[in-house]
Amino acid sequence: MIGIFGWITFIVLFLFFTFLGFYGARWRRGDLNKLHEWALAGRRLGAFLAWFLIGADVYTAYTFVAVPSGMFASGALYFYAVPYVATTFMVAMITMPRLWQWSREKGYVTAADMVEDRFNSKVLAGLVAITGIIAELPYIALQIVGMQAVLGIMLLGVTSNVKLVSDIALTVSFIILAAFTFTSGLRGATLGAVLKDILIFISVISLIIIIPLKFGGFSSAFSDAQSFASALAAKNIAWLSTGITYLKPLPALEAGYTTLWVGSTFALFLYPHSINGSLSASGKKQLAISDAFLPIYGIGLALLALLGLLAYSDKAAMSLLSKFPLSSMGIYSIPALAVSTLPDWFAGLVLLGIFIGGLVPAAIMAIAQANLLTRNIIKPIKPQLKPETETRISKWASVIFKFTALGFVFVVPATYAIQLQLLGGIIILQTLPPVFLGLVTKKLNKYALMAGLIAGMASGIYLVEVANKFGPLTTSLYHMGGYLIWIGIIALAINLAVAVIFSLPTLLKK
Amino acid sequence: MLMQGNAKNNGVFYKIIAIILMIIPWIAYLWISSYNKVQPTLFGITFFYWYQTLWLLISSIFYAAAAYLIYRGEKE
Repeated sequence: MIGIFGWITFIVLFLFFTFLGFYGARWRRGDLNKLHEWALAGRRLGAFLAWFLIGADVYTAYTFVAVPSGMFASGALYFYAVPYVATTFMVAMITMPRLWQWSREKGYVTAADMVEDRFNSKVLAGLVAITGIIAELPYIALQIVGMQAVLGIMLLGVTSNVKLVSDIALTVSFIILAAFTFTSGLRGATLGAVLKDILIFISVISLIIIIPLKFGGFSSAFSDAQSFASALAAKNIAWLSTGITYLKPLPALEAGYTTLWVGSTFALFLYPHSINGSLSASGKKQLAISDAFLPIYGIGLALLALLGLLAYSDKAAMSLLSKFPLSSMGIYSIPALAVSTLPDWFAGLVLLGIFIGGLVPAAIMAIAQANLLTRNIIKPIKPQLKPETETRISKWASVIFKFTALGFVFVVPATYAIQLQLLGGIIILQTLPPVFLGLVTKKLNKYALMAGLIAGMASGIYLVEVANKFGPLTTSLYHMGGYLIWIGIIALAINLAVAVIFSLPTLLKK
Repeated sequence: MLMQGNAKNNGVFYKIIAIILMIIPWIAYLWISSYNKVQPTLFGITFFYWYQTLWLLISSIFYAAAAYLIYRGEKE
């Protein structure tokens, strides 16, 4: 449902993006056969570029699709993303510069490298690496859901088989992406991220100014959302049940809100791709400064979240959305708003921004997974690996991981997109004791840390299953004593308890 | 010796100030009852939303000040 000029802008910009991806290999040339050149862009990114790259990790399909979708369907609870981005960079400021310094001094490329060195255990490092690889998969899948949302809106009315055409388009995009990350590594992704961020800034600013002006501000949006929810309530469908103008002041929901943002805050900089991005900064000071300014990126996220509610005021967008099932309507809210309010050529630009907004982070995440696989899982098993072989395995692994996530999306219908990111969060949070505590102390017992990680992971996944009654993922909050608690926090508490209690004999021994 | 001692004390002092600056946004967001309300609205946006958005900007200012204090005098 986008005119010819929209298609032209979209396709021309995508071709330009592809060119940048391949050109990245020539940009500030280094020897790409060395793993750190390919994966960390030779550690030469200054404060400004690091700000762009790390920010690009925040501005993903999570921001454009998952958060607005949560706001659209469930309401104020999903504004938890705002305190989350406000505080996660404080965690980054205190943890990443130290990790950066150590990796400079000791040649670490991943957090698992640091864990291996600190606790003198290849097995513990391997566990951290496997956890990281698994946790990235649902996060990559979420990026693909975001790209699907763009294609879904663009193809609506163009073809009768939207699903098939969109699957083909996604596969083609992934082949291009795989080809340029294969040849250019993180450099390709960095140039792509710069283009993506420029488009995103243009999109966010124009959407947030044009749409409220067109629909008479936000107050009408709140009442339009209310009447939509009331109409569904008459049919016994729970809609916008966490509040529209503010979070329903129930202790259970307020606990859910707080545990969601606190838990997510500690999770983000445990993700291999965030650590990878941080390590590619050119200095400790640059890194800390770019982290300090990253909450500003969150203002756009907050406004996009509110657009999830503003969609209710836009009759044209709502009629587009009504063509999708209620359960997946939310993920199309921002793309539908772009198409309904902007001129064709400009809507094409915004849609491409959202599209590569999923593609670039997916590339960065797959590179991070590949690093973990070669360095912390394959290398310890086959220590005589040559550096060239190591890099070649990494490149191929990043291709395989991307297509695994793609297959995941084709098989699993992602109606509650944000739950994918939260599932990844629950899993990655379990690496907090070895990674973040490892930055402070090396006195914890390695076996206790392994037991904690396994206990946290098992309890987390089990509680997710219980909370969803062993059905499709619709929630990651668990009822506990009248409060809703994010499962990641409960699992982390179990993990920490096991790790600390079993470390007591080591800790008490002088 | 005396000057070195002072420099060291100053370093600790600046670190403590930096830590306080970095903790303030946490207190603002953890105190949910202070902002989980509708009024006063700003451009039709309820307090719950605009207050938390405003704190993104304030957080960045505090973090930048903290980063300046911690890495004072360091070239890299």
